[in-house]
Amino acid sequence: MAELLIVDDSKIMRDMIVACLRPDPSLSFSHASSGLEAIEQLSLRGFDLIVLDLNMPDIGGIEVVEFIRSQDRLRQLPIIIVTTRGDEASRAQSLRAGASRFMTKPFQPQEILREVRALLGEGIAASP
Amino acid sequence: MSEKFELADFVSGYVAEAEDLLVLASKSLLALEASLRKGEPNPRAARDAFRALHTIKGLSAMVALEPIVSIAHRMETSLREADQGGGRLALPDLDVLLEAVSAIEQRVRAVGQGKPPAEPPPALLESLDAIKLAPSTTPAATTPAASLSFDLEPALLARLSPGDRALLHQGLAAGKRAVQADFIPSGARAKIGITITQVREKLGRLAEIVKVVPVVLPQSGAGFARDGRTPEAGASNGGAGFARDGRTPEAGASNGEERPAGLSFTLLLLTSASLQELEKVAEESGSKLRQFAAPLAPREASPPGDDPALFDERADPEAEIGASGSLRTGLVRVEISRLDDALERLSCLIVSRFRLARAVADLGATGVDVRNLTRILLENARQVRDLRAAVLHVRMVPMADVLERVPLLVRGLRSNTGKLVNLMMDSGKVEVDKAVAERLFPAIVHLVRNAVDHAFEPPAERGALGKPEEGVLSIVCVQRSNDRLELSVADDGRGVDREQVARRAGRAVPRDDAGLLDLLCLRGLSTREKATTTSGRGMGMDIVKKTALDLGGELLFRTEPGKGSTFVLRVPLTITIVDTFSFDCGGERFVVPVSMVEEIVEVDPAQIVNGPSSTSTSHENAPEPAKPKRARTGMIRRRGRALPLLSLSEVLGLPSREKATKALVVRRGGEAMGFAVHRLLGQQEVVVRPLKDALVDVVGVSGATDLGDGKPTLVLDLVALGNALLDQHPPERGAAA
Repeated sequence: MAELLIVDDSKIMRDMIVACLRPDPSLSFSHASSGLEAIEQLSLRGFDLIVLDLNMPDIGGIEVVEFIRSQDRLRQLPIIIVTTRGDEASRAQSLRAGASRFMTKPFQPQEILREVRALLGEGIAASP
Repeated sequence: MSEKFELADFVSGYVAEAEDLLVLASKSLLALEASLRKGEPNPRAARDAFRALHTIKGLSAMVALEPIVSIAHRMETSLREADQGGGRLALPDLDVLLEAVSAIEQRVRAVGQGKPPAEPPPALLESLDAIKLAPSTTPAATTPAASLSFDLEPALLARLSPGDRALLHQGLAAGKRAVQADFIPSGARAKIGITITQVREKLGRLAEIVKVVPVVLPQSGAGFARDGRTPEAGASNGGAGFARDGRTPEAGASNGEERPAGLSFTLLLLTSASLQELEKVAEESGSKLRQFAAPLAPREASPPGDDPALFDERADPEAEIGASGSLRTGLVRVEISRLDDALERLSCLIVSRFRLARAVADLGATGVDVRNLTRILLENARQVRDLRAAVLHVRMVPMADVLERVPLLVRGLRSNTGKLVNLMMDSGKVEVDKAVAERLFPAIVHLVRNAVDHAFEPPAERGALGKPEEGVLSIVCVQRSNDRLELSVADDGRGVDREQVARRAGRAVPRDDAGLLDLLCLRGLSTREKATTTSGRGMGMDIVKKTALDLGGELLFRTEPGKGSTFVLRVPLTITIVDTFSFDCGGERFVVPVSMVEEIVEVDPAQIVNGPSSTSTSHENAPEPAKPKRARTGMIRRRGRALPLLSLSEVLGLPSREKATKALVVRRGGEAMGFAVHRLLGQQEVVVRPLKDALVDVVGVSGATDLGDGKPTLVLDLVALGNALLDQHPPERGAAA
C-alpha cells in the first residue's frame, strides 16, 4: 500500500484526482484542503507521495514544496504539482523548489496515474 | 481497473463549487471597487478574486467547459497583474470584471441544467483583453508601512512581504492591534479535532489573518508520531527558507504524552477584539498569544464603512473576505438529489407508520389487547418525528445565503437606472428548506427590480421632494411562529398610485391596499408605459403572487403615496412534509396544514347567523368543473367580532349529512374566515405529493397524501379556497391553484 496526500482547496478537484487514481487498488488517500493542513499532516505522519495544487490561500504550493525539501526526513518524498493552464511560468519555479513532476489541468486520468506509478516505482527502486 | 473516469459524475459537484467561488469572486470585486472609490489599495480582495477565478478556470478545464475557461482565463490574467504585478485596476475595469462574473454564472447555471454553456460574447472577451492596468500608486501606503517596527523574531520579519506590511499598517491605523498566535500541532490534538485549519477558522472569526507561517522547531526529537519510514527522524533539518524559532516555546519541553510535531504555526493577526476574547479561543487549542504592535491611533467610533449600498454594516467586507478561505471548512457538501432521496425514504417510512397504526387499531377493534403495541407505536411515532426533524434540518439553508447575490443585482440596477440605492439586508439566522429557497429567489429578484426601477424616484426628483437622494431598499427576513418565513421588501420610493393602476387595468379604483395588490397581480399588467431595460418585462407580479400561493403562503402589500411600499411574502419554511390537522367533512377525510390554520373554534349550529346573500348557486353549467361552488356564508361571533363561516362540505359539493361541530379559521390577507367541518380527527405529519394531473387541478387543493390506508387524501389549501370564494373578481385558475 502506498499512502498519498492530495492537497487542493477545491474538494471537487481532490475528488477528481482520487477518481483518476482509484483504479489502482494499492493506493490509499488522505486529503488536505490547504497548504497549512498539508504541512501539519506531513509533520504528524508519513506519506509516500503528495499531489499538490499551486494556488491556495495562506501558503501556496511552492511554499509547501520548499517546506518539504527543507526537512531531512521529507527530502525524498515524491511531489506532483497539479496546476492550471497559464501557470506554466510556475513550472520552473516549482521544479527548482524540488517538485518531482508538474501536470497541467486538464489532464487525462491515465496521465496522472502513470506519473504516480512511475514515481512510486522509482522510490521503491531507490530505497535500500 | 474496470472503473472508468466519468467527468459527468462531477458535474453537480462542479456546479456547486463554481457557484460558491463566483459568490466569493463577486464579493471580492465589490470590496475592491469600494476600496478603489476611497482611493485605497485592497491587495487582499484582488488576491481573493484572482484565486477564485483561477480555481474556476482549473475546474472548468477538468470538465471540459471551454467557454468558461476562456472567460475565467482573461479575468485571471488582469487580476493576477493587479495582485502580483503591482498594477492597479480602474473603476471601469471592475464593471467589465463583474459583467464577466455574471457571464460565467449564466454558463454555470446552464451546465447545472444539463445544457452546454454558450460561447462567450466576443465583445466581453475584447473588453477583458483591453484592461490595461495603471502603474501602482502605492508608495504612499508603503512608506509608512516600511517604517513601522514590529516586535517579531527576525526570521518572521524577513518573511513579511510589502503587501503584508501595508495590510498591517492599514489595520493598525484603523485602531486594530497586531497579535501573534503560535499553535503547535500534535497527533493528540489532531485526534480531538484541533488542527491548524480549525485554529485558523476560530481565530479568523475574531481577527483578520494577515499571514500564517510554519516554523520548524529547533528540537525535533522523536517528535514524529508514527512514521516508520524515517529512521533519521532525530536529525535536525536544514530549514533553508523557513523561520527557525529562537525563542524555544513550551514545545521544547516535550513531555511524553504531548508529542510535538517539531513544527509550529505562527499566525499574524489584526484584531479589534479584546485580548481576553482571543485568549479564550487560543486556550482551547493550546495556542500562545502576544501582541507585536499596538494600534497607531485610538479606535475610531465607527469607521465610515464602505459603500453602504454594497454591504450592510454587519461586517467589514475585508474581514469577511479574509475569512472566506475557511468558510467551507467543517462543512460537507451534499448533492441535493441525495437529500431528496433521504426525504423520499423518510416519506415512505411515515406512510408505512400510518399503515402500522391502522393495523394495530383494527387488531384492537377485534378485542385483542394491543396496549403494548400501542406503547411501541407511540415511541416509534416520536422517533420518526425526530428523524423527520433531523432530515429537514439538513435541508435548511440560511436566508443570508439566498440573499447573497442581491447586492450584485442592486449594483447592476443602480448603474442601469442611475438611481441611488442603499441596500439594507437583515436575515438574522432564519433558515428555509432548499426547495423553498430555490422557488423564492426569482420572486425576490423581481421585487428588488421593481423597487429600483419603478419605486425609487431619480436622485434629483428625490432632492426636490425633500427626500434624501439615496433611496433605502430594505430586505428583512423574520421567522414567525408556526414555521413561517416572513420576507419583506420595502422601499421609500414614490408608492403606488391606486387610481393610475385602476385606470391601466380598466377596473374600479380599489378600496384598500389588498384590492390594489389584486390589480397589480393581474396577468400582463405593467404600470410602465413601455418595458425598460431592467423591468417591465419578464416575470410580473402575478408570478410573485403565484410563487407565494404555490408555496402555501401569501403575498401582502402596503403602500403610501410619496412614502414607499412594502411587499411581504409569508411562506412556510418547509414544504413536502408538513404538520396537518385531519378532519372529517361530508363523509370524507381531508387534511390541512397546521401552519395555515389560525385557530380551531367550536361551532354551535344554533349560533350561526345566515348572511343575506345566500348565493347558493347550484352546479348547473359550471363553466369549469373544477371550480369550487358558492356556499352560503354564515356568520359566527368570535371574541365579539363577526367571523364569516362557510360550510366546507357545501363548498366542496359533498353531501352534508352531519352537523358541523368545528370550524378551522384561516386568514386571507387581513381578514379571518372559518370553514365549518364535521369532526376533527387529529394532528399528524404527512407527505404532500403535488397533484400533477390537470384533471384534478382544483382550486384549494394543494396536493394529496396517503394516511396509510392506500387511498389518497386531499390536502386542502383553505386560504386559496377562501380567496376563490370571496374575491370580488374571482382570480384566474392558474393564479390560485
